[in-house]
Amino acid sequence: MLNPSIDRDLKKGSAELLILSLLEAQQRHGYEIGKLIETRSGGTVRFRVASLYPLLYRLEDRGYIQGRWVEKAGQRRKRFYRLTAEGRRILAERRSGWAVFVEAIRRITGEEHA
Amino acid sequence: MPDWKQPIRERIRGLNLAPAREADIVEELASHLDERYRDLLASGVAEDQAVRLVIEELESRGALAERLRQTRQPAEREPMPMGSETKGNLMESLWHDWKVAFRMMWLRPAFALAVAGMLAIGVAGNAAIFSIFNGLFLRPLPFADSGQLVDLDETAPKWNLERVGISNPDYNDWQKGNKSFDGMAFIHTGGGANLTTGDGGTQRIKTAEVTKDLLPVLGLKPLIGRNIQPEEDRPEGNRVILLGYDLWQRLFHGDRNIVGRVLKLSGRPYTVIGVLPREAMVPPDVDAWTPLAADVANGNSYYLAGVGRLKRGVSLEQARADLLRVHWSQQRNSDRVTSPIVGPLRDRYLGDYKTVTYILLGTVAVVLLIACVNIAGLMLVRGESRSREIAIRAAVGASRGRLARQLLTESFAMATAGGIVGVALGKVFLLGLVSLMPDDLPKWVRFDLDGRFALFCVAVTGLAALLFGLAPVLQAATLDTRNWLQEAARSTLARGKRAMLSALVVGEIALAIVLLASSGLLLQAFRKVMTQDPGFRPDNVLTFTLRLAPTKYPNSEQQLAFFNSLLERLRALPGAAAVSAASIVPLDGHTGYFFVAEGGKHFGEKDPNPVVLQVTAMPGYLNAMGMTLRAGRDFEDRDNRTSAPKVVLVNETFAKHFWGTSDVVGKRIRYRGNHNQDWFQVIGVERDNRHSGLDREIRPQVFASFALGPTNGLTVAIRGGSGVHNLAGPAREQIRRLDPDLPMYDVRTMSERLARSLWIRRAYSWLFAAFAAVAILLAAAGVYGVISFAVSRRTREIGIRMALGARPGQVMRGVLGQGMLLVSAGVALGLAAFQLAASLLESMLFGVSTRDLATYAAVVLGVALVGLAANYLPARRAAGVDPMRALRSD
Repeated sequence: MLNPSIDRDLKKGSAELLILSLLEAQQRHGYEIGKLIETRSGGTVRFRVASLYPLLYRLEDRGYIQGRWVEKAGQRRKRFYRLTAEGRRILAERRSGWAVFVEAIRRITGEEHA
Repeated sequence: MPDWKQPIRERIRGLNLAPAREADIVEELASHLDERYRDLLASGVAEDQAVRLVIEELESRGALAERLRQTRQPAEREPMPMGSETKGNLMESLWHDWKVAFRMMWLRPAFALAVAGMLAIGVAGNAAIFSIFNGLFLRPLPFADSGQLVDLDETAPKWNLERVGISNPDYNDWQKGNKSFDGMAFIHTGGGANLTTGDGGTQRIKTAEVTKDLLPVLGLKPLIGRNIQPEEDRPEGNRVILLGYDLWQRLFHGDRNIVGRVLKLSGRPYTVIGVLPREAMVPPDVDAWTPLAADVANGNSYYLAGVGRLKRGVSLEQARADLLRVHWSQQRNSDRVTSPIVGPLRDRYLGDYKTVTYILLGTVAVVLLIACVNIAGLMLVRGESRSREIAIRAAVGASRGRLARQLLTESFAMATAGGIVGVALGKVFLLGLVSLMPDDLPKWVRFDLDGRFALFCVAVTGLAALLFGLAPVLQAATLDTRNWLQEAARSTLARGKRAMLSALVVGEIALAIVLLASSGLLLQAFRKVMTQDPGFRPDNVLTFTLRLAPTKYPNSEQQLAFFNSLLERLRALPGAAAVSAASIVPLDGHTGYFFVAEGGKHFGEKDPNPVVLQVTAMPGYLNAMGMTLRAGRDFEDRDNRTSAPKVVLVNETFAKHFWGTSDVVGKRIRYRGNHNQDWFQVIGVERDNRHSGLDREIRPQVFASFALGPTNGLTVAIRGGSGVHNLAGPAREQIRRLDPDLPMYDVRTMSERLARSLWIRRAYSWLFAAFAAVAILLAAAGVYGVISFAVSRRTREIGIRMALGARPGQVMRGVLGQGMLLVSAGVALGLAAFQLAASLLESMLFGVSTRDLATYAAVVLGVALVGLAANYLPARRAAGVDPMRALRSD
C-alpha cells in the first residue's frame, strides 16, 4: 500500500515532472502548458489557473525554470517559461526516480499478469 | 472581453505582494483567462456560460491566495531546495507529520512497541531510583541555610568503634573553644518515657534530651510557647518539656492551651513550655524534647550526638581541624584515642544508604545506556529498511528537509509514548520501592517522582532515537538521488553501518555482562549472609520491651522483683516454651564497656582495645533466645541475690581476644580503670552470636547477671510455637495486672527483627538482579534484531548459495557463527570491564571474592544461552530460505 506521505509527495512531484518535461524542448507560456497537459493526457489531467501558476512560480523560485515577458504586435503580452540548467538536472533525476517508481508499481500491480 | 483583473486582484489582495509583482501576476493570469475565454467561445459555448467557466478556473476565493502564499514566501529558508515542498501553514503540516507518524507506528506495531518499551524501561528505572536518591541525599534539609549544618561526633578506631558519641566535658570544651561555629547543640537520643495520658492509660513515647541551643542552631523557633532556658539546662534544673508537633496533635489535638500543663513522664512531673514546629526533625522521630541538663564537669561516658552550625565560609576540613585543636589541647584527651568527627548532617542518618544508592544509580544508568544502544540499533535497521521508500519519496519530489522532519516526528512520537509510559511505570516502581523501605527512616525524607529527572531520561533516550532515526536522511545527503536509489535497490547493508550495528551489540552485551556479574556476586553475598549462623534461633521468638518508671521502682531490688514475677507469670502462659529477658536483644543496639581480664592479655592505653558489648541477662535467656552454652552454666536465680558473688558469661570472641582460648570458665574480669572494684567470675562461655547483624563482625560480648548490671528496662523474649505472635495479647494482660501504668513497646518477633536488619541488602541484591535481568533481555533483543535484520538483507545472497549447493545446516551454522562471534566479543569485553568495576562492589560482597569463578561461569553460560536463543530464530529463518523465491525477489 502507498503510505499517505508518498501519495502526497507523488501528486506534487508528478505535476512538477510534467511541467519540466513540457519545457524540455522549447519555451512555453502558462496557457499552452496547461492546454498541452490536458490534451496529451487525453483530458485525464487538467490544471486550473489556481493550481498551475502557483506551481510555475514555485519552480521559478527554485531556479528550475525562468519566465520572461514576450510582447508581440497586436497581441496581449505573455510570459514564456524555459528550463534552466538546474531544471534540466532535476528533470533527469526525477525521470529516473519516476522510472524506478513506475517499475516498482508495475512489479506490484503487474505480478498477476507476469 | 470581460475584465478578469478585478476578480484576480480580489483573490490575491491578502498576500501583500510588492505592487510590481502583483501587477505581473494579475497580468499573466488575466492573459491566461483571456485565451481560455476565446477558446470556449470558439468551441461554441454561450457567452455567459463561458464567463462562468473561466471564473471557475480561479476556483474558490481562498485557493489561489493559499497556494501562492505557499510558494511566494520561502525560497531563502530552504538552502538546498530539492523536492516539492509544503511550506506555509506550519501547524497543518506538523499535524500531517504526526498523522503519518502514528500511521507508521500503527502499521509496524512491533517496532514501535520495541522502541517505546525499551525507552519506558530505561526511563522507569532511572526515574524511580533517582527519586530515592534525590529524597535521601539531594533534597535540602528543612532548615534555614541547611548547608551550614553539620553532624558532630567522636571516633575511636582503637576501640573498634567508628562513632562513640561525645562526652560531657568534650562538648563543653568544643562549645567554648571553637572558632568555626555559630552554634553547637548536643543531643542524647534513644531515651523514652512512659507518658501518663489523660484517660489514665500510659503510652511509651520517644524522647530526646537536648541542650538549649538545638532550636536556634537548627534555625527554628517554638511553634507556641518558648525554648529551654539556660537555668533549665543545668543539673537539678526544673523539669520542662517541649512537645513534638505530631505528639501534640495526636494526644492533645493541637490544644494551644497546653503550655503550662504538667505531664507525667515515667511518674515524674514535667511542665510543658512549648510545642516544636513541624520542621524540628533532628533528631528524627522523637516525640518530645527535654533539657539535657548535663554536668559538664563530670562524666567519661561517650553518649551525645551533636549538631553544629558552621560560620559562613568555613569548610568542613577547617572546622574539623579547629575542633581537633580544641580537643587534643585538653589534658584528658592527651592519649589521642578519641577525635572529633565533623560531617554532613544527613550522613548520620543516611550513611548506610549512600553506597547502595550510588551503585544502584550507576546500574540504572547502565540499563538506560543499553536501552539507548538498542534503540539506536533498531532505528538504524529501520532506517535501512525504509531507505528505499525514502529514496522514492525524494525521487518524486520530497525535499530532504521534509523527509528529515517526517523521520524526526516519528522518532519523537515513539519517544513521547515511551516517555509517558516510562514515567508512569517509574511511579509504580517507586511506590514499590518505598513500600520496601523500613518505617524508621527520618521523617524529613520524602520520595516524590522527580519530574525534571524523568524528563532528562526521556530526553536522553529520545535523543538516541532521533539521532539514529535520522541515519537514512544523513546518508541521503552524501549520495545523489540516483545513486541512492540504486543503493537502496541493491538491498545490501552498507558495510559501515553493519560495523556500527555490530559494535553496538558487542557494547550492550558487555554492559549486560558487567551488571550480571555484579548481580551474581551480590546474590552470592546475600546467600552467604542468609546462611550465616546467627548464633541464636530467630524463629518463633516474640520480643517486647518494658521500661519501669524509676519513681515507682526506685531501686534495683524492686525492679528485679517486678521482672521476676512477670517472667514467672509469662512462663505459665499456654504456648510459651521458654521465657526470659535481657537488656539488649540481638540486632537491637549496643552498650559498650572496657574490661580487663585477669591473667589475660594486657592492653596499654595506646593499644587497640575493643569496646565490649555488655548485656544484662536474666536466667534462662540463652535458652529462650536459642543461644548455645559452650561451657560452664547459665545464670540462676541465686546469682541475682544482692549477697551473691558477681558473675558473668562471655562469648567465644571475648575469651579468645583476652585469653587466647575458649576454656575460660572460672577466670575473672573487671571494668578497666577501677582498681578497687571486685572481679567478676566467668561462669560460662556462650557460642558467638551475630548481635549486630548477620553481615557484621562479631564483637566481644559479656552477659552480666542482673545483680551486676541492674536496669529498669528489659526486653522480654518468649519462645513458643508457630503462633508465637499471638502471645502478645495475653502477655500485655499479665503486664496490666502487675502494673497498669506500664506500656509494652517494640513488639516484634526475632524473625521480623532479622528481616528488618537485612532489608537494605535484600533490597539492593534483588533490585540489582532485576536490573541485570532487564539488561540481558534488552541485549538479547538487540542481538536478535541485528542478526535477523542481517539475515533478511542477505536473503538473495543466501538464496544464491543454496542454489549453488549450500545445505540449510551450513547456512544456519554460518548465521549462528556470525551472531555468536558478536556475543563472544561482548562477553570478553564485559568481563574485562567488570574487572575494573569490581572494586566498587567489594565492600558489599561480605567476603565473596570478586573473582568467584562459579559466578563468572554461570554468567557466561547464561549469556551464551540467551545469545544462542536470540540467534537461533534468524538462523532458522535463513536455513529455510527458498532459493527460487529469494532470487526472484529482487
